[in-house]
Amino acid sequence: MLKCLSGVDGPSGYEDEALKLIEEKIKPYADVLKTSRLNTLIALKRGEGTKKLGIFAHVDELGFVVAKVEERGFIRLEPIGGVDPKVVLSQRIKIFTKQGVASGVVGFLPPHLQKEDQRGKVPSFDDIFVDVSCSSLGEHVSVGDICVIEGECAELGSKVSGKALDNRASCAALILAAQNLQAIKNRADVYFIFSSQEEIAGPGAVSVAYELGLDEAIVVDVTHANEKVPQFPQIKISEGPALAVGPVINREFYKALSDVAKRNGVKIQLEPTPGRSGTDTDEVQITGSGIKTALVSIPLMYMHTPVEVADPRDIEETARLIALASTM
Amino acid sequence: MYLKELTELDGVSGDEGRVRDFIKEKIESKVDGVKVDVLGNLIAFKKGTKSNRKFLLAAHMDEVGFMVTNVEDDGTLSFAPVGGVDPRVVVGKHVRIKGEVPGVIGYKAIHLQKRNEILESPKYENLRINIGASSKDEATQKVEIGDYVSFATDFRCENSRATGKAFDDRAGCAVLMEIIERSERFEDDIYFAFLVQEETGLRGSAVLFEQLQPNLALVIEGTTAGDDPGLPEHQWATHLGDGPAITFMHRGYVVNKKIYESILQVAQKYDIKHQPKRRTAGGTDAARLAKTGGGVPAGVISVPARYIHSPLSVIDVDDFKNTVSLVGKILEEGEGFAR
Repeated sequence: MLKCLSGVDGPSGYEDEALKLIEEKIKPYADVLKTSRLNTLIALKRGEGTKKLGIFAHVDELGFVVAKVEERGFIRLEPIGGVDPKVVLSQRIKIFTKQGVASGVVGFLPPHLQKEDQRGKVPSFDDIFVDVSCSSLGEHVSVGDICVIEGECAELGSKVSGKALDNRASCAALILAAQNLQAIKNRADVYFIFSSQEEIAGPGAVSVAYELGLDEAIVVDVTHANEKVPQFPQIKISEGPALAVGPVINREFYKALSDVAKRNGVKIQLEPTPGRSGTDTDEVQITGSGIKTALVSIPLMYMHTPVEVADPRDIEETARLIALASTM
Repeated sequence: MYLKELTELDGVSGDEGRVRDFIKEKIESKVDGVKVDVLGNLIAFKKGTKSNRKFLLAAHMDEVGFMVTNVEDDGTLSFAPVGGVDPRVVVGKHVRIKGEVPGVIGYKAIHLQKRNEILESPKYENLRINIGASSKDEATQKVEIGDYVSFATDFRCENSRATGKAFDDRAGCAVLMEIIERSERFEDDIYFAFLVQEETGLRGSAVLFEQLQPNLALVIEGTTAGDDPGLPEHQWATHLGDGPAITFMHRGYVVNKKIYESILQVAQKYDIKHQPKRRTAGGTDAARLAKTGGGVPAGVISVPARYIHSPLSVIDVDDFKNTVSLVGKILEEGEGFAR
């Protein structure tokens, strides 16, 4: 499932293909399915009506928009979201033209032709160019077309590497959790919310949080794994989901989640978040008259590259944890 | 056309076996003799109708890539380039270790980088290959220090342009294989040499003279283009679509005048699209051939390729076909060529 979810393309604002696949996968486990005006998919699994619990995962991924079409089959890009220019060089680019998908190549000067002052620096998006002379649809590329880096999803031993695991890994966890709720009985009414436009800090999640009048919200996203950040504990891949603590998290809700994890043997890690979390949690908490929030993060290596690495066991444990949360 | 098979095989300098086995199997029945020498060069022979001269056609099998230099405690692999690979084209790529173990080269997330780091070139010392192993023990079950690493790039062909890795110099190997496919004999004895270790200092070609004593040679290469927005137009080396590039000089060797002019004459005589290579940077096995033994006068004909020495380069298929035509016509000239 993770490979399928990574394989579909859905940059912020253009999530349709990804949403369609998710809708297919979650349909058997949902009582009601609907899509909001801002392209967010909501799957409701009714419980005993004790409260309304929203579980969020953003669907959108990083991408580009064609900013300029130049002569002889070259185009220029502007990024959608926080794309590191280093990961763009020498990649194949998929360009969604009105006539179909064109395929371009990000060019890079060979060492033989580089001048001394060109070495050591990475070109910014002002200088990065895409060669579309090698595409039969190259002539149909126009300004405003949406693009993504082409990334295959590969199994590396017990782990998976591919693009857009931020945040399709979490989408997979939500689908698995919905599946788990066929066996575990949920008390809360659970809304699985697959939201749009997170990578540009957009409106996908908050508008739905407001409309649904949620009591509690769990945001599922990814966090940096196996990177040592001074003063912070190192979150490790394969060691289970990370629970955030901090001002954007409701203390009691966090405590309850942490307890249910312990009681059921879900291995968790702790992620201190002294300020904003950089996820939809930040905005969801202050929606309407306020929502109790928790943030559950799946450890992910090399975030925002086309070769992000996740461990499917972390995703399964995350699914188990959020399914258990709906029984509280 | 063997371009797809050839470029999708992994054969970093020093590890050309897969490429050599493939070529050997395809050509063995079409030549009069084939051997593999001490260094690993594959040499095929086709007897001439007059046999007064030994004409050597050479292309190198190896590509740039990497070697695993250490297995770290966390199960990731440190690596170093084999041949010239700019560290800026390495991040975010899928790789294959010894042709079979998949891996990826990641990078610290942009969120964790300092502002000035974002446009700084990555350094090999900070890059790792991840094969999904969580410990050194787990990693060493699949790989070991010294294993070779290639980019995992598929070959595609659209709009009469081909994209993939290692056109430098599998394009040259493919040209030689096309010539071998032709059943007729030429006047000269022809030696086809598929060489090792060009990218690490023109090493395979160093042992040819002693074995063959050729009278003349043609080196067939995949060469730099540069006709893209990365360079101002006056600095372009070759242009995709303008035909095979004929070299008059490169590092360490001014091409034998007689051979250079004869190549041009043949191209003009048969109206085959061609272009001079406009830059003298870079070298080929022609320089080594000229310097070994008594010296072999050699010409250089190349298929222009954009973005070489990266995981993803581009050639024009018509340039490739015109290179095959030009080399074929040169051989048909027989003893009249470069007389």
